[in-house]
Amino acid sequence: MTHGHLRLTDLSFRFAGQTQALFSIQNFELAPGQTLGIRGASGAGKTTLLHCLGGIEPVTAGQICWGDTDISQLPAGELTRWRQQRLGLVFQDFHLVEGLSALDNVLLPASFATWKAPADLRVRARRLLDRVGIREPARRAELLSRGERQRVAVARALLFEPPVVLADEPTASLDPENRAIISELLCELVREHAATLIVVSHETSLLARMDQQMELRGGALQEIVATHPDNSTIEGKPHV
Amino acid sequence: MFNPLPVVMADYRRNRLLVGITLALIAIAVAIGVAVIAQERALRQGSARAADDFDLLVGAPGSPTQLVLTSVYLKLQSIPLVSGEVLDKTSRARGVRYAAPIAFGDNWQGHPIVGTITDFASRGGTLPPTEGTLFTRRGEAVIGARVPLALGAQIHPEHGDHHEADGDDDDDGDGDAAEHHHHEHALTYTVVGRLPERHNVWDSAILVPVEDVWAIHGLPSGHPAESPQLGPPWDAAQLPGVPAIAIKPDSVSAAYGLRGQFRTPQSTALFPAEVLNELYATLGNVRDLMALLAVATQVLVVIAVLMALLVGFLARARQFAVLRAIGASSRYVFAVIWLEVSVLVASGAAIGLALGYGASWLLMQWIAPRTGFSMPVSIGGEELLLATTLAGAGLVIALLPAWLALRRPIAEGLKA
Repeated sequence: MTHGHLRLTDLSFRFAGQTQALFSIQNFELAPGQTLGIRGASGAGKTTLLHCLGGIEPVTAGQICWGDTDISQLPAGELTRWRQQRLGLVFQDFHLVEGLSALDNVLLPASFATWKAPADLRVRARRLLDRVGIREPARRAELLSRGERQRVAVARALLFEPPVVLADEPTASLDPENRAIISELLCELVREHAATLIVVSHETSLLARMDQQMELRGGALQEIVATHPDNSTIEGKPHV
Repeated sequence: MFNPLPVVMADYRRNRLLVGITLALIAIAVAIGVAVIAQERALRQGSARAADDFDLLVGAPGSPTQLVLTSVYLKLQSIPLVSGEVLDKTSRARGVRYAAPIAFGDNWQGHPIVGTITDFASRGGTLPPTEGTLFTRRGEAVIGARVPLALGAQIHPEHGDHHEADGDDDDDGDGDAAEHHHHEHALTYTVVGRLPERHNVWDSAILVPVEDVWAIHGLPSGHPAESPQLGPPWDAAQLPGVPAIAIKPDSVSAAYGLRGQFRTPQSTALFPAEVLNELYATLGNVRDLMALLAVATQVLVVIAVLMALLVGFLARARQFAVLRAIGASSRYVFAVIWLEVSVLVASGAAIGLALGYGASWLLMQWIAPRTGFSMPVSIGGEELLLATTLAGAGLVIALLPAWLALRRPIAEGLKA
């Protein structure tokens, strides 16, 4: 459980050549198994923050601790291993490998460390696909609908039962029906696996499913305590 | 140990057309180079093999190339005759195992009829007939392996070279000329033997006693009138001229001695290998030029293909960044890109090698009947070196896009 415990300390990020930080977060903590939704205007730095939390983008200063591991200090090799073992990622555009079947896409992370996925992992991949409603696991990724692709992407993110799942606009490119399905699936599955979920989204219905909601505004995270149906914050307190 | 093959194979499946075109371009570039080299070597080996039966040639002073083409490859053309006196001298010279007159001018259905002696027909006894016997008396013939006649068949010789006669027909446009150049002789030969296959134009030839050829053309037979003798010793007074004399020397030193001895104002003596070497030198220069062009083609094709692949890989920066983001190591992504390029180039080179061999073989089928000798097509060290160099270069050059992909930060790739 502790691997999903997030602690940010004096975190700041600024793009190379820029003088002003995109965001600065002095202290923030998220308990393992909690879900957090982050919203913000375009360009506020939501995706960059998510990338920093996943060890994809190096931070300018500060610490990102997942459990006892400060990923901002990890050498490249160990950071890759951490992502392999602890992190599940879901993208807005799914990013499945075309030419591979749905099942092989789910099993793809296994090929990063082993020549052939072990039998129990293959069983687990099939169960996950079944769980997300994919009835034809042998179907090639490019032949699936957008909703089906995102479901496969969710299954791929959960293959190794990671303690941390990060999702960047996971419903943004889906129709309303699929948005609802993916939102529900994502939340259900991470709860089943007791993973910590951080979602960046503009989607109110998805954010409303999270334990906590925050807005990245002016380079700082602010907690949202209520939301209007039109997505505007009616009450909030800055998080320092 | 990671396994990059699923991604590599998926990329190939997704880009079948591009993969096919890339493979075809590389294969064709390699095949051209391989075919040029293999064909030139086959031509050289085939022509040299055809000349094996002619250690030393003596003819009238003139073009050595013409003498070799006429006698070794039976490219029959009008050449000056060397006198009977020279033939007699060569037959009696020291160090000569046999000196065989080579006399032509007649044919049977396009198969050249060559007048000679039994020593030449059997290559000094090293080439016994596969069927029947050698000719032992006038009016008998021994045929090459590809002459479509059975033992006992009768041959009515026609005067002139078959193709030459056809050409005259066309030129003149009437039958009179054909009749003039292409008439049947009164003599009939009986096939008494068949020689083993030599894989050269002599397999299509009909060998008869030279005395008959002379007699048909109203010349003395080299022996006293009515003498049934075949071959040497000749009666110098009764000996007409011949187009060429094929000499089998006793030894290498004897061959050089004889060559010097018969290089006189009345005759020329040469080793066919000397003439072939000059031809090969010219051929080699042409081959070098063609090989250079083939290599240049290969380099250009490979550069073009790799540039296209590089652009393709740069366009796929996001895919590689996603792989890194979801847990692939940099080595994994490096292996994916390197394998994709390397396997393509190496497969293209291997296919090209096979295509080049196939093209050479087909070309040989087309050339052999026209040159009069079969060409042994094979893949040699040069062609293997060509293909492996290209494949090796591909493996090294493939490092470039792989290295470029590694240098790109993951976050930057995800935004691409």
